[in-house]
Amino acid sequence: MTMRSEKIPTLKAAALVNPAETPTPGTLREGPRRVFIAGARRRVAVQLIERMLAAPEVDFVLGVDRGPCPPALLGCDPERFLFASADLSRRRQVDNLFLLDRLRERPLDTVVHLAFQGNPRGYGIDSHEFNVNSARHLLDASLRHGISKYIFLSSDAAYKIGARTDYKVREDGDLNLDHDVHPILRDTIDAEFMCRAKMDRPDCEVMVLRPSGVFGGGVLSGVNLLFESTPPVLPVGFDPMINPTSKERLARDLILAIFLHGKGVYNVAGRTAGPLSKFLEERGITPIRVPGPALGLVNRMQRVLGMTRYHAGFHPKRLYYSLVLDDTRFDKIFRTNADKVPAIARMPDAE
Amino acid sequence: MLFPKRKVDLVRPLLPPREWERIEAYAVSDAGFGTDPFGTDPDALGLSYAVGYWLHRHYFRVVSVGHEHMPKTGGAVLVGNHSGVLPFDAVMLAVDLFRYTDPPRLLRFMVDYFVYQVPFLGVLFRSLGQMPGTRRNFDGLVEEGHVVGIFPEGATALGKPAEKRYELYPFSHGHVELAARHRAPVVPFGLVGAEEQMTMLTDLRPLARALRLPYFPVTTTFPWFGPLGLLPKPVRYFIHYGEPIHIDPDALHSVDVRAHEVERVRDAVADLIHVGLETRREYEGPKGGT
Repeated sequence: MTMRSEKIPTLKAAALVNPAETPTPGTLREGPRRVFIAGARRRVAVQLIERMLAAPEVDFVLGVDRGPCPPALLGCDPERFLFASADLSRRRQVDNLFLLDRLRERPLDTVVHLAFQGNPRGYGIDSHEFNVNSARHLLDASLRHGISKYIFLSSDAAYKIGARTDYKVREDGDLNLDHDVHPILRDTIDAEFMCRAKMDRPDCEVMVLRPSGVFGGGVLSGVNLLFESTPPVLPVGFDPMINPTSKERLARDLILAIFLHGKGVYNVAGRTAGPLSKFLEERGITPIRVPGPALGLVNRMQRVLGMTRYHAGFHPKRLYYSLVLDDTRFDKIFRTNADKVPAIARMPDAE
Repeated sequence: MLFPKRKVDLVRPLLPPREWERIEAYAVSDAGFGTDPFGTDPDALGLSYAVGYWLHRHYFRVVSVGHEHMPKTGGAVLVGNHSGVLPFDAVMLAVDLFRYTDPPRLLRFMVDYFVYQVPFLGVLFRSLGQMPGTRRNFDGLVEEGHVVGIFPEGATALGKPAEKRYELYPFSHGHVELAARHRAPVVPFGLVGAEEQMTMLTDLRPLARALRLPYFPVTTTFPWFGPLGLLPKPVRYFIHYGEPIHIDPDALHSVDVRAHEVERVRDAVADLIHVGLETRREYEGPKGGT
C-alpha cells in the first residue's frame, strides 16, 4: 500500500493568506482614514469621534445609530463628519450607508462596530435580533464594499469566570458557553465567532477587542453602573480583582486599532489592577454588603426603587470572582507603536 | 479592605522588631493599589506573618533544616507531603521559608479551587499570595521568580486516616511537567508532626459533597467540641528540605520519563520524611512526647 504524496490542503496552503503580502502588525496603515462608526450615540463612540475629528489624518467619519445625533457631535465640521440615522439590523439600510454619494469618490476604509446593545434591561427578542443581524450585516457589507479594517467591540463578559479563573485572563481563556448564560453574552460570543470566521480574509483585517469594564460618566458598562449605584451592593466575603479601563483610554485604544495594522482578538484593559473594594475606596464610595444568596433580591429592589441600573443577574459571578484581563498582546503590537500614530501623539492625555 | 492597618498594629507585639523590618522590607510589585498582580496585600501579609510566626515559634515549635537548598532568587517549586486535617503544615512551611531565607521568600501555594468559593477564605488566601492551582497561575508565578508550593498528593491527603500516617499518596504529574517547562528546580521537603496534630476517625463523604469540600473530617475532637475541636494539638513540627532536583526536560515529551521524574521526587520526599522521623526520635529522646 503506497501513501499518497499529496498534502492535505490547509488554510495557508489554500492561499487565503499570503504571508508575503500580509502587513506587519503594528505598522501604520497608509493614507488618511475614512471611518464608519456604528453605534455613534454611545459615550465611547462620542469620545472616539471627537478625538478622531481633531486629527487631520482622519478624512471623514460617518456616525450611524438609531435616533438623533448626540448633542456633543452637533457642532462637528460637516465636511468631515456625517451622522446618519439607520437601523443596522436591516441589510438594505446597512448597504445604503456604504453607497452614499459622498463616499462614491473616496469610499470608507474602516468600520468600527460599537452598536452592540449590551444593556440587560428590557433585553428581548428585538434587541437580540438587532444584535445578531447588525453584527452579520455590518461584517458582510464591510467585506463586500472593500473595507480594509473591521473592528468589533466585544466585552470581557465573554469570558467564563469562577474559582478556577487565572490571575490574568489571556485572549485564549475559556469563553462562557454555558447554556444558562444571559442572552446578551450568547449574542456577544456569536458575534465574535462571526468575526473570527472571517479573520483569515487577506483583504480585510478583522479585529475583536474585549475591553475590561469601562469607567466614565453615563457609560453603560457593568462596573460603571455598579459604581454609579447608590449605594453599590456587594456580596459578603468576596472582593474580586479587576482592572477596569476608562472611556478615554478605550477611545485611545480604538484609535490605535484603527490606525495600525493588526487583526485577531485582543484584550484591552486599564493600567491598574486591584481589588474591587480599593477602586470603590479610591472614589470615596462605601458599598453595602449582603449575604450572597440575598444579592439578587436586593439588586432587584434597588432597580425597582431607581437606586441602581446595575443588573447583578447579567454576569452573576462577576462580584465573586476576579477577572483581570491580560492585554500584553495589545500592548506589544499597538500601544508600543503609539508614536507612529500622529493623532495619538497630539492628544492631551497621551501616555 | 480585609485588614485595616489598626488590626496589623494589634498583632505587632507578636513579632520581634527585626521581623517587622523584614516584613516591611519585603517588596511587593505594586499593580496599582498596593497589591501585586496576584492580589498579595502587604498588610494582610504582615498580619498573617505575625500570627504565623507566633504559631511557628511557640505553638508548633518548628525545627527545620536545609534552607540553603532553596534558591535565593528565581522561580522554584517546593514539593512535599500534606497532612493534618487542616493545612497548618502549609502555613508553617510558608512562615518557615519566610523566616529563614534572606532575602525573605514568600511561598505561594497552588490551592484547591474550593477555597475560593468560600466567603472570606478566598479573599484571605489571595491577599496572602496563594493562588488557585491553574497552569497559567503557575506560569505567571514562576515567570515572575516566585517559589511555588505544591502538594502533589492533593487536598484529599489532608484527610488521611490515622492508619496511613506518613504513607505518601500517589503524586500527580503536573508539578514535574510545569517545572520541566520552566526549567525550575524542584525542592523536595518532608514534614513530620502534622500527622499527629489531629486524628482522623472518618470522612463523612456525603456531607463533604453537599458542602463542596474535599472531605468532611470526624476527628477525636471534631465535631464533638464544636469549632474548638478543630484546634490542632501543639505537636512539634520537623521540616527537612532536600537538595534541588532538576527535572529532565524530556518529561515534556515522554510519559515514561515524566513518571520516572515524579517517582524521583516522591522518593526524595519519602526519604526526607524518614529523616524527619529519625530526627524526631532523637529529639524526643527515649521518653518520647512532643
